[in-house]
Amino acid sequence: MRVHKLKIGVSGIRGEVGEFLTPALACAFAQAFATYTGPGRVVVGRDTRPSGPMLEHAVACGLLAGGCDVVLVGVYPTPTIQIYVASTDACGGLAITASHNPAEYNALKLFNRQGLFFNTYERSELLDLYHQSAFRHVSNAEIGHVETDTDRPFHLHLGRILPHIDSNRIRNRRYRVAVDAVNGAASLWSPRFLEALGCEVAAIHVDPDRPFPRLPEPKPEALDQLRRTVIEQKCAVGFAQDPDADRLAVVDETGQVLDGDDVLALVVDTVLQRQRGNVVVNLSTSSAIDDVARRYGCRVLRAPVGEANVVQLMQATQAVIGGEGSNGGVIYPSVHLCRDSFTGMALILDRMAASDLPLSELARQLPRYFRRAGAVEFEHERLGELLQRLPERFRATAIDRSDGIKLILSDGWIHVRPSNTEPVLRFALEAREPQRSEELYGEVLELLSSSGG
Amino acid sequence: MPLPLRPLRISHVGLRGIVGQGLTAAHVIDFACAFGTFLEEPGRVVVGRDPRASSQMLYEGVVAGLLACGHDVINLGVVSTPVIQHAIRWLEARGGVSIGASHNTAEWNALKFFGSKGIYLNTAQASELLDIYHLRKFRLAAWDQLGRLSEEPGALDYYISQLAAVYDFERLRDFRVVIDCCNGTSSILLRELQRRYGFDWILINEKLEGRRFAHDPATTAEMVALQLAPLVKPLRAHAGFLFDVDSDRVALATEQGEALSEELVLPLLTDFLLERNPGRLVITNLSTTALVQEIAQKYGAQVLRVPVGRQAAIDALTSYPPEQVAVAGEGTGAVMMPQFRFIYDGIASMLGILTMMQERGRLLGEIVASYPKYYMIKGQFPLVPAAVPRLLMELQERYADGQQNTQDGLRVDWPGRWFHVRVSQTEPVLRVICEQRDEPPAELFRQLSEQVRRLMS
Repeated sequence: MRVHKLKIGVSGIRGEVGEFLTPALACAFAQAFATYTGPGRVVVGRDTRPSGPMLEHAVACGLLAGGCDVVLVGVYPTPTIQIYVASTDACGGLAITASHNPAEYNALKLFNRQGLFFNTYERSELLDLYHQSAFRHVSNAEIGHVETDTDRPFHLHLGRILPHIDSNRIRNRRYRVAVDAVNGAASLWSPRFLEALGCEVAAIHVDPDRPFPRLPEPKPEALDQLRRTVIEQKCAVGFAQDPDADRLAVVDETGQVLDGDDVLALVVDTVLQRQRGNVVVNLSTSSAIDDVARRYGCRVLRAPVGEANVVQLMQATQAVIGGEGSNGGVIYPSVHLCRDSFTGMALILDRMAASDLPLSELARQLPRYFRRAGAVEFEHERLGELLQRLPERFRATAIDRSDGIKLILSDGWIHVRPSNTEPVLRFALEAREPQRSEELYGEVLELLSSSGG
Repeated sequence: MPLPLRPLRISHVGLRGIVGQGLTAAHVIDFACAFGTFLEEPGRVVVGRDPRASSQMLYEGVVAGLLACGHDVINLGVVSTPVIQHAIRWLEARGGVSIGASHNTAEWNALKFFGSKGIYLNTAQASELLDIYHLRKFRLAAWDQLGRLSEEPGALDYYISQLAAVYDFERLRDFRVVIDCCNGTSSILLRELQRRYGFDWILINEKLEGRRFAHDPATTAEMVALQLAPLVKPLRAHAGFLFDVDSDRVALATEQGEALSEELVLPLLTDFLLERNPGRLVITNLSTTALVQEIAQKYGAQVLRVPVGRQAAIDALTSYPPEQVAVAGEGTGAVMMPQFRFIYDGIASMLGILTMMQERGRLLGEIVASYPKYYMIKGQFPLVPAAVPRLLMELQERYADGQQNTQDGLRVDWPGRWFHVRVSQTEPVLRVICEQRDEPPAELFRQLSEQVRRLMS
């Protein structure tokens, strides 16, 4: 499997802008989208990538040609666009963003009239329309309008979050909060959002006209400046987002970046305290979630890795909370069934305010597991063989094959899966004891490297 | 078998078609990318559009394509085509695009392309643009080299300043004029001129419309007769003018409420401009009235006749220094003047005719009455392409006694009489035009029609 600079598949259309992701492709894809949704208003928003405006015009062109009206909201986080779609009479939405991918990439994220990611069936239907070029072409008499609505989406989003937290309690704490919006779609909105919660905001990387100043994905190694800001400005917490602000990373008051699974565990705990129900996470997410859920007598269900998979299972099981630890994703359906860094920030602040404990202490109280993750390159033909070797090598009490292979061991677990986008096998593992975790890491790495090579 | 009407036409004059049925978003994006590639070095490109609903769709596609090629787009919004052309020079842009189907009905739309001087691409340039379009190998900019979009609200002011530099508006204020805007962009301009200079102008069909125009926006005597001409006398106006949707063409009604043939716009402006600069060249096409020649002779000027279509006129203009040309235009009401850098402009034409009325102290009907009377009969026949060469050969043999011109079909001239048989560039039809001084050329037209029908079936 080689990496190509354009990918059109069930996850949509993504590529490097220039020779690969062209205006013609974006326009045709939008026209296929219009054909699929039928007449109605389609919301279009984007992140701050330099190619955003060009693609926005191409998408508007295709939507109009396909018989839809276009509502341009401008630069907004993906979750805000989704909530706006769900809150208005729109028949669908498109976010122009390559999310956490590098700046040269762009992509289209597709939403149905409920503001939810297209599910597998919707996506393959759309893809068929695209490939067949079976587009609706409307005449001048039927062609729609372009309208703009740039202020309302933020207020709709904020209005959805506030009823689910005790905002007065947060306000009374007058937290000093650092935020790093990577000069992305949240640049204008995160400071406003945190100020609305009474926080004193130390904002970095909130200029939407400047390039991404760090890795777009809020990985711990990319957050040095945020960590410094938290320490220097004596902040209670620091938040980092990706360019379309669906992902969230959290830094505690000591400048430590919290593990994504710990952030999710904190959020799950916060939600289950007042609302019992199912929890959905992905197969690579920590068992800490199970321990937390057990306290409330709630069930944890596991979906294959990927927001769409988690959302699909949450919808099917009417889960009250969910997400993907390693991808910084908090999904709280009471706000909206989407990965949302704003909801994540609000729930963390709410938890801090309720407990009156520093964030590092809240994290310390979580069930303790030792996690490792990694990736190795592999030859595609050898995937089956590799996945067969794992259960031979490790004694599993249970095996889940819904996304690669997950072995449940007596004292931990191992999850190995091929990436959907790159020629790598990703693996994650967890154990109760740190030595056991290191031991497993070495063994898995050796096994995958020796036979995959 | 006659051919059906084509809902899409991609040619040297650009892209034109019925939206949805022939002209699609994909054509627009590809053509915009082709133009962006054609312009080479990234620079500014001026874009404007007419009020058609579909023009918004075309606009989005044009902007996407140009930005993708690294050009900065300057949007003028809904404006007349001549405003776009003037703005290209003013803004030192590399080129421009006019979105709108001008004199075609509402379901049509089109893209027209201009170079850095605000002039239509000549044939060599247009051929290159077409080659790039067909090859579809566009020079797309890297992700961090894309263009930016901005708005320019000052283009209308600049255009008005250009008109004001040539015409003395104060002297035109005494005329009461009725104007049919055909729901197009002329109303924006006319209202602004009226506001600034206090003209006694009465506008009809003034509201910009996207889906349905009050009538076919063609600048023809038939359309003038529909609503405009009957209003002139009751309103005690001195003249009536009708513009197409993007106001690059004009048609006329006299103070008596008579709808004038669209053929008369060019002769009138020829008269007006040659009087100031006798001896300069007049450029027109083979289908235009012989009255132009008669007026030119009065001023000792030559008439250069070129094939029908914008392209031939643009090519001809490039071969002459501008100071040698008095006027260029066609019998459709589309006229270009050197004072306005050879931009087809209905508004500038109207102001020229009003100035002539003022200078001569005569109204439009009186001026036209002083011209010899020519009668024109036009017909069109379903096209059978394979039969065309034989038809033209037979006609050449049959009318060997006249002066023949074969640049575009066949034109044969006799003193006070001529005909032109040619294949349309826009529709699958063969056009037959006859004109005669003092009486209608009914017999000639009958003979030609008979021969055409015999061979085109």
